[in-house]
Amino acid sequence: MPDKLKEQGAIPVTKVQRAAKFFSTGAKVGGNYMKHYAKKMVNPSMDKEELHLNNATDIYKSLSELKGSALKVAQMMSMDKNLLPRAYQDKFTMAQYSAPPLSYPLVVKTFQKYFGKTPEQMFDTFTRSAVNAASIGQVHKATKDGKELAVKIQYPGVADSVSSDLKLVRPFALRLLNMNERELDHYMAEVEEKLLEETDYILEVQRSREISEECGHIPNLKFPKYYDEFSSERIITMDWIEGKHIKEWMDTNPTQKAKNKIGQALWDFYHHQVHNLKQVHADPHPGNFIVQEGDQLGIIDFGCVKVIPEDFYQGYFALIKKELLINEDELNQIFYDLEFISDKDTDVEKAYFKGVFKEMISLLGKPFHVEKFDFADNQFFEQIFQLGDRISNDKMFRKSRQARGSRHGLYVNRTYFGIYNLLNQLEAEVDTTKPEWLK
Amino acid sequence: METASAKKTTKKDHRKVILEGYKNYVLEHGSAPKSVFKFAKDLKMKEEEFYTYFTSFESIKSAIWVEIFDETIRQVESQEIFREYSAREKFLSFLFTWIEELKKNRSYLLSLYESKSQTLMNLPKEAAEFKDKFKDFANEIILEGKETEEIASRPIISDRYDEALWFQTWFVFRYWLDDRSPRFEKTDAAIEKSVNLAFDLMGKSALDSFLDFAKFLYQSK
Repeated sequence: MPDKLKEQGAIPVTKVQRAAKFFSTGAKVGGNYMKHYAKKMVNPSMDKEELHLNNATDIYKSLSELKGSALKVAQMMSMDKNLLPRAYQDKFTMAQYSAPPLSYPLVVKTFQKYFGKTPEQMFDTFTRSAVNAASIGQVHKATKDGKELAVKIQYPGVADSVSSDLKLVRPFALRLLNMNERELDHYMAEVEEKLLEETDYILEVQRSREISEECGHIPNLKFPKYYDEFSSERIITMDWIEGKHIKEWMDTNPTQKAKNKIGQALWDFYHHQVHNLKQVHADPHPGNFIVQEGDQLGIIDFGCVKVIPEDFYQGYFALIKKELLINEDELNQIFYDLEFISDKDTDVEKAYFKGVFKEMISLLGKPFHVEKFDFADNQFFEQIFQLGDRISNDKMFRKSRQARGSRHGLYVNRTYFGIYNLLNQLEAEVDTTKPEWLK
Repeated sequence: METASAKKTTKKDHRKVILEGYKNYVLEHGSAPKSVFKFAKDLKMKEEEFYTYFTSFESIKSAIWVEIFDETIRQVESQEIFREYSAREKFLSFLFTWIEELKKNRSYLLSLYESKSQTLMNLPKEAAEFKDKFKDFANEIILEGKETEEIASRPIISDRYDEALWFQTWFVFRYWLDDRSPRFEKTDAAIEKSVNLAFDLMGKSALDSFLDFAKFLYQSK
């Protein structure tokens, strides 16, 4: 886990100030574009990466000062790597590790509010500063009766500011994600719902427990235990999971066997959730996974759980099958059901979008088409990025008047992109198991 | 000896009865009582007896503010960790606890101050004594902050830091009066953020280096 975070200086206070913050960043991004085109006139060979890097730095700076939901959106964008140019990704991945911490008196106050006791009265030891930042809270380390615990405390007022923060992020996302407004609103509504869910710590404890019990039989996975007596709406107490983040672990040069073992555990974990439980830990960002001694994969933070509706499940995975054995009519029906195309589309649009989605899905389904898939293969990811780039720059797509893909798809796609990316980071080769009916 | 202490307790009780009676009156009527005579009568007390403890309604209101403040100080100082806090944390801890104490009297405070909350920039007379006591407390924190160099000593301005903290405290009070968020979470956030800002401003910053440099340029010309 990262060392002590630096306590932050001023946090923008009012909505106006926060808006101002965004505005100034907007101005900077605009400025970066200007600079880019000016430079390009002098030196036509300059590539866009530099521009992206400048933009990413400015945007990241502004987002990290806002924390709360804005940070969460940054995280989400960093997940959807297919949507973002490379330079943004690295910056945003940083957002997953660092956010400014709360002062200790406020931590004490939060404890007194919910338990009527100070942290010192509840635990044997309790760290004065946060040891780690979660997107909408921070983590302190405590001990009690010889056990090491992680105590997550939510920032006050986060639940209230979710909606207004998302409105602030909107113009940015519009520009960054290259989406049209309708599409973005479609996306934002689902994000907002999930964010609000994430502020409900009682629900999180309940879900964490459910999923960890259901997945307890999978080899090489470790789940923390949750403690009700030390948890409330704003505080969650669980076992401390000692270990390294995936990136740090990779720096220790693990063997290929170890990498495959971790990768397989990750794949099995998601396989069981998606195909058997039909609800999934939809936040596979690197900060939620910890590699422990003996190559065990620890899983924390069940704030974001997506329930997959049965009919969506059927349609979505029918498309992933290697040979589409279904006929054109059935395929059309699935596209309608998943809201990829609708009656509002012209015939040309229908044909175009069907083609694009088929290409996209067959690409994403690739790991499912073989027994074993090597995620270290960067070429596969290049293909995904290229397709993403091509689509988001395509006129047909940008002019399209409506959102594409059912909102359930947002999280399921995000989850799969997330897993693929993690497996790629792990350079793992895994047995890509699938349910009988998909074989 | 015995009679003396007995006398003292009855005396204290009278004071308390008046304070509680006043709060109750405001809570039930939504405004301050009209006359001391009527108020004393309701408490089954002679008017002159009332004057042994308080000279006017103003002084009752003032005593309530002071009482809240004293209780806050008592509570923060009872926390062991308070002594280990930095100046910034001490002030945060004070405000968080103070808001909790205010909460116990929220209805009373609302009926007296809510309608005026927009114009509360000018301080009601009855808060003057509380302000004096607060400033003593604030100066202690500031002095400590200067010793640990958490707060920068600047000519002229740094003598007004206690005023600045007072202004901030009053800002928090106004914010809290208008706060409608569950459990007053927004007030917590407002305290956290505004105190961080205040202490960052009081701390050594780029501004000091800038002024120093400007002075140097001016003098060496």
